[in-house]
Amino acid sequence: MAPLTGKRVFSIMALCMMVGLLLLPIVIALPSPAIGEEAPAGDTAKKDGDKVEKGRDVYYKTEGIVVGAPAPKTTDGPKDYPRYNFESRVLIWFANQQHLYYGSFVLAVPIFCMIIEFMGVVTKDKALAKRYDQLAYDFIKISLTAYSLTAILGGILIFTFLTLYPAFFGYLSSIFRPVMHIYALMFVAESGTLYIYYYGWDKMKEGFLKWIHLSMSVVLNIIGTLLMFLANSWIGFMMSPAGVDEQGRYLGNIWHVIHTALWNPLNLHRILGNMAFGGGVVAAYAAYKFLAAKTDEDRAHYDWMGYIAMALGVAFLIPLPFAGYWLMREVYAYRQQMGITLMGGLLAWLFIIQATMIGILFLSSNYYLWQAMGRMRGAEKYQRYIKYLVFLLICGFLVFITPHTMVMTPAELKAMGGQQHPVLGNFGVMSAKNGGINVMITTTVLSFIWYMRGNKVSTVSWAKFGNIFMGVFFACAYINIIWLAIYGYYIPANVRVGLSVPQVATTLSCLFFMFALNSVMMRGAKQMGPIEWGKISVRSQYALIMLATAFTWMMALMGYIRSSVRLFWHVNEIMRDNSPWAYTHTVGFAANMISFNVLFFWISILFVFWMGSLSAKKVPVEAKAGIPGGVPQPAPAAGR
Amino acid sequence: MKALMSLGALIGVAGLLLLAGMIFNVIPSSTVRLVEGYMPMQMLFELTCFVAGFAGLSYMMSAMGMPLSRFWQGIGFWAFILLYLKYRVYPPIPFSVRAMYGTVSLVAVFMWVSASEEDWKKFKQPIMNVLDAQTGMNKLLRYMYLVLLPILIGGFSYNAMMPKSEEPIELRTVHPAPPASTKVHGKTYTLQTSQNPYRVNPEGKYDQDFTNANIVEQGMGRLMKPNANPWDDKNQGYLKYVREGGEIFFQNCHFCHGDNLNGRGLHAFAFNPIPANFTDPGTIAQLQETFIFWRVSKGGIGLPNEGFPWASVMPPWEQHLTVDEIWKVILFEYWHTGYYPRTWD
Repeated sequence: MAPLTGKRVFSIMALCMMVGLLLLPIVIALPSPAIGEEAPAGDTAKKDGDKVEKGRDVYYKTEGIVVGAPAPKTTDGPKDYPRYNFESRVLIWFANQQHLYYGSFVLAVPIFCMIIEFMGVVTKDKALAKRYDQLAYDFIKISLTAYSLTAILGGILIFTFLTLYPAFFGYLSSIFRPVMHIYALMFVAESGTLYIYYYGWDKMKEGFLKWIHLSMSVVLNIIGTLLMFLANSWIGFMMSPAGVDEQGRYLGNIWHVIHTALWNPLNLHRILGNMAFGGGVVAAYAAYKFLAAKTDEDRAHYDWMGYIAMALGVAFLIPLPFAGYWLMREVYAYRQQMGITLMGGLLAWLFIIQATMIGILFLSSNYYLWQAMGRMRGAEKYQRYIKYLVFLLICGFLVFITPHTMVMTPAELKAMGGQQHPVLGNFGVMSAKNGGINVMITTTVLSFIWYMRGNKVSTVSWAKFGNIFMGVFFACAYINIIWLAIYGYYIPANVRVGLSVPQVATTLSCLFFMFALNSVMMRGAKQMGPIEWGKISVRSQYALIMLATAFTWMMALMGYIRSSVRLFWHVNEIMRDNSPWAYTHTVGFAANMISFNVLFFWISILFVFWMGSLSAKKVPVEAKAGIPGGVPQPAPAAGR
Repeated sequence: MKALMSLGALIGVAGLLLLAGMIFNVIPSSTVRLVEGYMPMQMLFELTCFVAGFAGLSYMMSAMGMPLSRFWQGIGFWAFILLYLKYRVYPPIPFSVRAMYGTVSLVAVFMWVSASEEDWKKFKQPIMNVLDAQTGMNKLLRYMYLVLLPILIGGFSYNAMMPKSEEPIELRTVHPAPPASTKVHGKTYTLQTSQNPYRVNPEGKYDQDFTNANIVEQGMGRLMKPNANPWDDKNQGYLKYVREGGEIFFQNCHFCHGDNLNGRGLHAFAFNPIPANFTDPGTIAQLQETFIFWRVSKGGIGLPNEGFPWASVMPPWEQHLTVDEIWKVILFEYWHTGYYPRTWD
């Protein structure tokens, strides 16, 4: 007990330090909100007497004392837009996208670690617990190397901003000045916590200390999430400014600046998106290692790792369309013109591409699950029905990707007799698309349930009734979703928007109730055979790589769409973009640029993985040997 | 089970014969009509029946000792989808959409035939047989492919690269983003918050629910509701203004937008693209009344930059109509189509 006491004290101190680091920026921030609206207003008023100028918040419509300079009216020239002999917007686009990729990755992976470490702690099976723990450790190791690169890319991004868009960056900095130092301090807190968490892994692997270690991951993730929220406030402000008057003058209330109309939906969307993306990247890493593995043991380990990463990624992918829907709803509510530009106007074609990418994500996930059933004895009984799932998925997908405005030659336009196709044009509107995506998600849930019961036969006395109930439940869910999609054409738009709620509720009911019921039914189930990890088709691994690539491509696409919707504004309706690049790129150019960013990210992340494998090489063999439960070890090196 | 599969097979055969008849013009395309108002669901229902039919057909052929190999099942189903889209759905689907559907169908076929290892092996077998070329026939096929495939790819490339004389494809923006506000006859209207002043009940109060309850019934007939005839002189409020809007519509708009508001007026086909079809659920049904007010007032010439290629010849009606007349005509358009304007609650 005695040697543990020191460790305990150290661990508790470390945890307290992390909490302190977490609270420090908040404590420092406390005086900041008071700068403008309430207390200092009186002070300033006393000092300046009648000279105090008041402004009206463009969003909150509250009055506040003007404490900032108006947004600069830029002109095209070296003062406001210094440049290299290249399009500045493309440079900033590249720097921003790469930073975002890595930022998302290093924010998502610690959340995975937290979940997996927790699963390891609560799992009663010792061998499995060790495997979870090792997996969480592998994840954080990858993230650690990526973390340095994220910081470097963040630096590059700031320098690019300062060099190419000094007036714009200067204005944003002046608005966010009260929280800029908090942002920086959060980075310090994040780094400190991450290093203690990583290097303390082995010292805190048992009993009470393990719980302390797990608590550290919670603190780490809180810091990371707050960091992201702060970063999101910048883009929220650029899209839907608040806390400033019509001239862009800061009115002293930093909370208004942060808490813009789109901040909360952006936060939720990004958390889920980052998680799905992180899952995809780790799954692709595992797939790559699986394909390169030389031994059955390695294949088994990376097969399992890929499965866990995919499952976590898909778990966050499923609610992602709903979060996206909320974001778009808020965009429409904020500015109708912005919503129309996105969904029905200039950027609508990009949304069709986005729908295609979402479809690919669901198709890849389902395909992986069907392939994964191949490594279970007893799952053959489901395979003959897969064709019907394919049909359901594809019908949902086809409806989901049908464009409202079709690309056609003038001859085709004449033959069709109008801009909208009388049959397929109906699939181009939101009511049908809601039905399409919900059918796809429900089918994915069904695939998951089949996978979960693949090699099992329920032994509960009410198994037959349970199976019938589940079948009827799913059938009713499909009927409800499709019926509501049709009904949406016959009701006012505001009611139609509300119909998405019962559709989503139906899908989520399938997710939660059917998962719960299935779990109960499979408790103590008869095993038809073990899951033979490593004996999965190579096609499944390509599906994982496809999944990750689609995530990456879609993230870049959506980032571009979100940014482009401001059209010729740096800050919507406040600060105009007067650079020569204040126009919207063609769809083709944007697609090429997105592809380049994706390619660059994957090449660089391969480098990160290779770096990670170098450190794995240095671990003495003795340290790894003899782990109870025969934990499959990572492959020695990618570059062998 | 066997009876069910037999029924499926029967449907499959009947469907295939019908489609073949339509392709070779033996049976008119309208033999089994796509019913207006139900067409999208009818298409999905037909495809569902075909899938059930093919499953039954495959089962029956296996039962009769004539199983169709997985390879030909996959290829056959894909070919069927392509032919269905080309010959069954009318008016013709633009190539870009058929290409999208065709690609997705190909992916679907791949997912189906490779879902299990056994199926995948069965599907690959004929391909592997040709590649291995263990028999004379396979050897011949292999040489044929060696010659034909490059010619085919070359032909496609030549066709794609060859300069064409037809007009280029245009990515038209159907709903250009509106401005935040618009100035008509000296008054500024905020699009997000303005309302149609004639959407009122008989007492003259703004009443969205009352007006929504009096639009025509949607569906095939677009029938007027009982006691909601705008041409009844006794009507006051909404229905009276609908009648006045209708008069304005038939004096000014129907020449292009058509007397059924479906974009097929007398002059419609002089324009490319033809005028907007208000009966389509993708046009006015998706928009706020203020959006229509802005588009009618400013016309094609008032489209913003992002409305490129500005393919609209609609005149700026503010030069010909008063503000009140514009609001009334909008009221009539929604009433006649049976659609509700988009609102924000």
